[in-house]
Amino acid sequence: MNVSRSKDFWAGIMFLGFAAVAMVAARGYTLGSAGRMGPGYFPMVLGLLLGVLGLIIAARSLLTADNRIDGLKLQPLLFLVAGVCLFGLLIERLGLVLTLIAVVAVAAFASRESRSVEVAALAAVLAVFSLAIFVYVLRLPLLVWPNFFG
Amino acid sequence: MDLASNIAAGFAVALTAQNLLYCFVGVLLGTMVGVLPGIGPVTTVAMLLPISFALAPVSALILLAGIYYGAQYGGSTTAILINIPGEASSVVTTIDGHQMARQGRAGPALGIAAIGSFFAGCVATLFISAAAPPLAAIALEFGPAEYFSLMVCGLVAAVVLAHGSVLKAIAMVVLGLLLGLAGTDVNSGIRRFTFGFQGLADGIEFVALSMAIYGIAEIAYKLEGKQDWADVSQAIGRVWPAWSDIIHCVPAILRGTGLGSILGVLPGGGALLASFAAYTLEKKVARTPRAFGKGDIRGVAAPEAANNAGAQTSFVPMLTLGIPSNPTMAMMIGALMIHGIAPGPRVMIERPELFWGVIASMWLGNLMLVILNLPLVGVWVRLLRIPYRLLFPAILAFCCIGAYVINSNAFDLFVMGFFAVFGYVCLKLDCEPAPLILGFVLGPMMEENLRRALLISRGDFSVFVTEPLSLAFLVAALLLLALVAAPAIRAKREEALQE
Repeated sequence: MNVSRSKDFWAGIMFLGFAAVAMVAARGYTLGSAGRMGPGYFPMVLGLLLGVLGLIIAARSLLTADNRIDGLKLQPLLFLVAGVCLFGLLIERLGLVLTLIAVVAVAAFASRESRSVEVAALAAVLAVFSLAIFVYVLRLPLLVWPNFFG
Repeated sequence: MDLASNIAAGFAVALTAQNLLYCFVGVLLGTMVGVLPGIGPVTTVAMLLPISFALAPVSALILLAGIYYGAQYGGSTTAILINIPGEASSVVTTIDGHQMARQGRAGPALGIAAIGSFFAGCVATLFISAAAPPLAAIALEFGPAEYFSLMVCGLVAAVVLAHGSVLKAIAMVVLGLLLGLAGTDVNSGIRRFTFGFQGLADGIEFVALSMAIYGIAEIAYKLEGKQDWADVSQAIGRVWPAWSDIIHCVPAILRGTGLGSILGVLPGGGALLASFAAYTLEKKVARTPRAFGKGDIRGVAAPEAANNAGAQTSFVPMLTLGIPSNPTMAMMIGALMIHGIAPGPRVMIERPELFWGVIASMWLGNLMLVILNLPLVGVWVRLLRIPYRLLFPAILAFCCIGAYVINSNAFDLFVMGFFAVFGYVCLKLDCEPAPLILGFVLGPMMEENLRRALLISRGDFSVFVTEPLSLAFLVAALLLLALVAAPAIRAKREEALQE
């Protein structure tokens, strides 16, 4: 059958990929023996196990009809992940308030229903709320405003 | 100390003004995220984990526990009123609960859900107080071989109870174990799977991983579909059910509570499984099974009692063995570790105030929940009018702040971004994330116990079958796997786990 959209086939491939990465990396660590396990022992065993499982899952999908992956819409995921990474890039440079506004603005593109006025208001509310709760009430160590001199 | 004085000591801890406040905040937030379909207790607990830094360990646990069982109450409200489960564990409540609402009996449905939950919560609290100490006493005798086999058994149980393909669930467990090993190895000092990233030296941050999978990947998945839930315009009416309804439900609530209490303790169990099992059982024993699905009040009472009982008793393996039975319990272990407490049988001896304080708070929390849910149900319904387009940026923002403040490390955000993509792929490929999360938490513990067991036996693997308890755990694990493999039971399992 055509495997290009089979859920099980791609799940098997994904597990095989992770197994390959694990085993290649684990080769760099001392294996040791069962009685004196090195740091590579358990990862290597798990990597092998995962590889075998991945193979079985992928192979079995060739024999049986299974569910097909339904339509992928990558736009929401991309903007959400972009928002998360943007937070990581900006938080120690611009501080909490400006970072949150930027993140909300980017993340809003994840939904087609977002309206610009609402997003602006939401960003402002979230920035004020977070400032109050996380910085003033909980006193978490967060940079609040840009630190151009530090 | 006997049970009564233990419980009294627990109430002394839970009844301080401060802990009462944290309990209240916990159940309030729990109800809120329970009502809202877009966000669940795992994400909420993960977001609040950094906050618990600032609290005493017992207050932190009281707060986080409140979120979990509070969500079980809130989930039923959404299930009954708009036919969408607010929480996964209230899926079965939609069947009869929403039918009742359509017949104009939304009030009694909400009422019986709260009453059943409250009763179950009280019984489950007693159950934990009675069951946990003997279990911890046994666990104190465990050596590394027993612990390793117990973890194998627990992970196998989690696999058996996961939705969908067993093979894929096992693969997710193994992948979780591998991810858990990333970071500096405590024995050799070697950095494993860090790929040169300084930010991975302490391993993959658990909070970032779980928020990525349960928070952000879920949002992405949800944004693909229809975003707004149907509007809630129907009147709720009188919430207190008629006495005849209550009497009609007593046996169902008792059965649901019993079943939920037992299933909650099992590894892989908890609220979700308990509610499914309770509904199936009610249908089996009812003299009029045809009424189910058409608005039978027992079809609301039993699963709601069961999911609350299961949510609470799932604390037993976490508090006594240090082994999480579901992702929320894995977060609780994370919370304890932040405070430098290694969860396990010693907690009950060395920190009795922690253990009994949390248990006493559960009973108080249940009382607060009845008050929050019955008279104030109208307030919660209004929450459902918040459109998702406003909700998801807020969830995302809080996830980001939570992931950052846990270590004050911006790198954790990139970790979260990476695993959000991974979590989305898993959702698309029908790979259940819960086994991965459990494997992640147990990875380092499993390796350490395997290493120690084999060190003592000088590399002889037979130690796992010559120790009687260890053998028992492994046999149980094998039996579970054999059960799933048997075709007849396989069909039943698929039927039972189907929505």
